[in-house]
Amino acid sequence: MIVDFSVRDGRIVDVQINGDFFLEPPETLTSLNHALEGMPQGADHAELVSALQAAVPAGAELVGFGPAGIATAVRRALQ
Amino acid sequence: MNDWTGYDWQLLQGTQEEPYVQMALEEVLLANVARGVRKPTLRIWEWASSSVVLGRFQSVRNEVDLEAAEELGVTVVRRITGGGAMFNEPQNTITYSLYVPEELVRGMSFVESYAFLDDWVIRGLRELGIDAFYEPINDITSSKGKIGGAAQTRRQGAVLHHAMLSYDIDADRMLQVLRIGREKMSDKGTKSANRRVSPLLDQTQMGRADVINSLTATFRQLHGLTKSEISPDERAAALELAESKFSSREWIYLLP
Repeated sequence: MIVDFSVRDGRIVDVQINGDFFLEPPETLTSLNHALEGMPQGADHAELVSALQAAVPAGAELVGFGPAGIATAVRRALQ
Repeated sequence: MNDWTGYDWQLLQGTQEEPYVQMALEEVLLANVARGVRKPTLRIWEWASSSVVLGRFQSVRNEVDLEAAEELGVTVVRRITGGGAMFNEPQNTITYSLYVPEELVRGMSFVESYAFLDDWVIRGLRELGIDAFYEPINDITSSKGKIGGAAQTRRQGAVLHHAMLSYDIDADRMLQVLRIGREKMSDKGTKSANRRVSPLLDQTQMGRADVINSLTATFRQLHGLTKSEISPDERAAALELAESKFSSREWIYLLP
């Protein structure tokens, strides 16, 4: 799982989560990208996780990735 | 519930299709099984040309060297299921799909249904003397290395489960086109990268067509299998969808 993004004016922008995972319904990916868009670059792991969790609709299935892994990838990239 | 034998399984096999049409057929045949227009079906693919098949959620630039793909005449396509990129050359892969009513896997998790729907392949490979087994979530593997992988999606009460087995690999061409393979090679060295994948030709002397015949025979023994054809309506719908969706930049570069 890869998170491509930029930082502008201290905020996370142009987010594209991608990789060899499975996700139903597929449109959930747009919600996950939007959840990170505009977050402050200083947001900690827990803040990122809770924003991502709020973007996962009831009944969605995430296989091979999840909010915690996405948040870890973002934090690593920012360090 | 979870009973294969309650269906009149249909076999689609024989026609070579271009990569965009392959992607479109998946959507069309899945929809027809969902609508009850087509009975549950096993399709054995034949490829008309080489391709990289990206998973639904993969980025083109992260996975593919587009210049190399163009130079080698490899078409980049995106499928409707998740999972990882596959490099296909017509005689090197064995690709198949199952289009089934969701009731066949009712009560199973996404993960459980993968092993369930590929059980006939594992048995079929064992009959060829290959000690195949399933490695969750979606790998068909053996003690000598990974053989292939599967992917699924669900629509309106039907499940698409498709998988690709490596029969042979041109590692040079694959590594020119796929970035991930190249990184794995440079990280771990050629030897370990080769060990991770073990195509069927390393494990059996049988020709590709004979392997396919043996696998479909196993399916027929277990569940029954009746020869079927892609209907004129299905072909027309697939050609239309190949043109309007699967060959479009919007779809291929859905994740640039």
